[in-house]
Amino acid sequence: MIAFWDSLSALSQDLLMTVLLLLPSLLAGGLVLRGFAPWPLVRAILRRFRVASILFVLLIAISVGMGIGLLAQERGLRHGTAQAADKFDLVISAPGSEMTVMMSAVFLQPSDMPLLDGATYAEIAGHESVSIAAPLAFGDSFGSAPVIGTTAEFARYLAEDRIEGRMWETAQEALAGALVPLEIGGGFAPAHGHGDAAEDNAHAGEPLTIVGKLASTGTPWDRAILVPVETVWSVHGLANGHAPDRSDQIGPPFDPAYFPGTPAVVVRSEALWANYALRSEFTRDRETMAFFPGAVLAQLYRVLGDIRQIMSLMALVTQVLVAAAVLLGLFILSRLFHRQLALLRALGAPARFVFAVVWSFGAVLLLAGTVLGLGTGSLAASVLSRIVTARTDILVTAPLGWSEIHFLAGFISVTLLLSLLPAAVVLRQPVVPSLRG
Amino acid sequence: MGLALSISDLRVTSDRGRQLLAVPKLELPAGALVGIEGPSGAGKSTLLYALAGLLTATGQVRWGDADVLRLDAEQRARFRAERIGMIFQDFLLFEELDAADNAALTALFRPRTERAALRARARARLASLGLGEQGLDRTVASFSGGERQRVAIARAMAAEAPVLLADEPTASLDRAAADRLIDDLIGLARATGTTLIAVSHDTRLISRMDRILTIEDGALTDDREGSA
Repeated sequence: MIAFWDSLSALSQDLLMTVLLLLPSLLAGGLVLRGFAPWPLVRAILRRFRVASILFVLLIAISVGMGIGLLAQERGLRHGTAQAADKFDLVISAPGSEMTVMMSAVFLQPSDMPLLDGATYAEIAGHESVSIAAPLAFGDSFGSAPVIGTTAEFARYLAEDRIEGRMWETAQEALAGALVPLEIGGGFAPAHGHGDAAEDNAHAGEPLTIVGKLASTGTPWDRAILVPVETVWSVHGLANGHAPDRSDQIGPPFDPAYFPGTPAVVVRSEALWANYALRSEFTRDRETMAFFPGAVLAQLYRVLGDIRQIMSLMALVTQVLVAAAVLLGLFILSRLFHRQLALLRALGAPARFVFAVVWSFGAVLLLAGTVLGLGTGSLAASVLSRIVTARTDILVTAPLGWSEIHFLAGFISVTLLLSLLPAAVVLRQPVVPSLRG
Repeated sequence: MGLALSISDLRVTSDRGRQLLAVPKLELPAGALVGIEGPSGAGKSTLLYALAGLLTATGQVRWGDADVLRLDAEQRARFRAERIGMIFQDFLLFEELDAADNAALTALFRPRTERAALRARARARLASLGLGEQGLDRTVASFSGGERQRVAIARAMAAEAPVLLADEPTASLDRAAADRLIDDLIGLARATGTTLIAVSHDTRLISRMDRILTIEDGALTDDREGSA
């Protein structure tokens, strides 16, 4: 069985899982409705109690929409953060918290970090397996845009060479991320620091010009301004990484003697195995720390995964409770048409037919609410994605996926099976007292 | 053709054990038109519901060959669907359905092969009761009391059941509508040979019956020929 399951394509597995989850409700529906045509009566009851029916449908739709919207959002956030870390194969920094370094280097969240010296950088950059070794320099900003010092090679790699305009050629030139409100040819002076604490005039004498605009990457780097790393070092009064006789040089190689230090080096190697070798080689006590941001995120997802499971369970329980409340409402509502149900029995309707009418009424409300909830959830996920993207600059897209479809299929089955209960209870009501009103 | 009724030792008691009705012996021929009169709470409707197999009772209630009290709940339901039509004081229609759907209500749970014929008969009954093509597709919410009760008669007779049980069929109607309904009900029952048993306080209805039973305090106290 497991071998058969594994032999199926992912789409086949998802489709089959959906069918399996729906199977209990399909079987129940088939058994309850077999040979009967209760729909005219169900339509009549829906029309009679249209306001209550609409309220029930909306209640279910909101509950379902919130549940699947949140689940889709959580998946979209994971996908977005993983995407944001995609270009950062290996990060080497001074020993400390991998999470802090990752948040700083990948997600551009400012924090104080110790620096790697020039000799260490030279060792990394000079390693035979390394194709890109980009030092990063943080600390300045322009408005809400962090100003990041790095190398031209890394900037090209980050934007996959999609640069409108041109690459910087001097220390006074910069590239703007796709979301930075600066156009090519525009000038700016970086402020020292970030946010409210930024000193706007600290580097007022060092104006820079935007010469290129990076294509959108869907990462926080879209809101960053990239400058030569030499520029950041210079405006802070430090050596610019090169000997005085080569002070106009932009980009590597850097002279270890004039290397002011970098909090993190983004390393890329052409071979996957080499990344592992580099991580091992540059993981040294009290000297350097090398890690894969993807692995750190995976650890984070593992922790969040448990929370996700709890969230999923809570969402399901909440929805089942809402559905149960709705079904209780149905039972109360059915008291209002108990005379009609008694009439059916008096006219010779089998108990299963009366059962089918009540169950179908509940099923229509639950299915309508679920379908509407699918739309509501999709809309909620879309709105939440935009809000999260705007606040984090991480491109989050949360289209509804198979897990939401499975969730809904499970919800439908559980609630349609639950709705057998009020139908059964209604059936136990005595006929003659109801006929007499 | 109607069914003959034979009752012996029929007893209906309440959940608390109080005797509600006792009928030691009663024989009615097939196609008889029978009126049941008596004061309110005497047990008239209880007898009617017992005859339909809607109450738990002891003794025998034989319609033709079938003793309904010996049947289980689902057998009784099938018996009612095939053999008994019922009419109630306040019509008990589905207000959101049109006249044709109300009259053909039982088609919804009858075997698929019988549904079309039952719907056709329901429309024919409505037409014969004066609810022609113009009224068939209107929801009954817009109908007068007399029209509603005629829809209920059409529903009761659509299955061509040999027995018709009516519980105060004219009680919710004004005099003119009640008189028309009495004509319709008795005319149809006689024309089809249906056994009709009607509980009523309406002397005009009772007086048109072949036989009149009086029930008082849960007992049959009088059984006489009608003036019809």
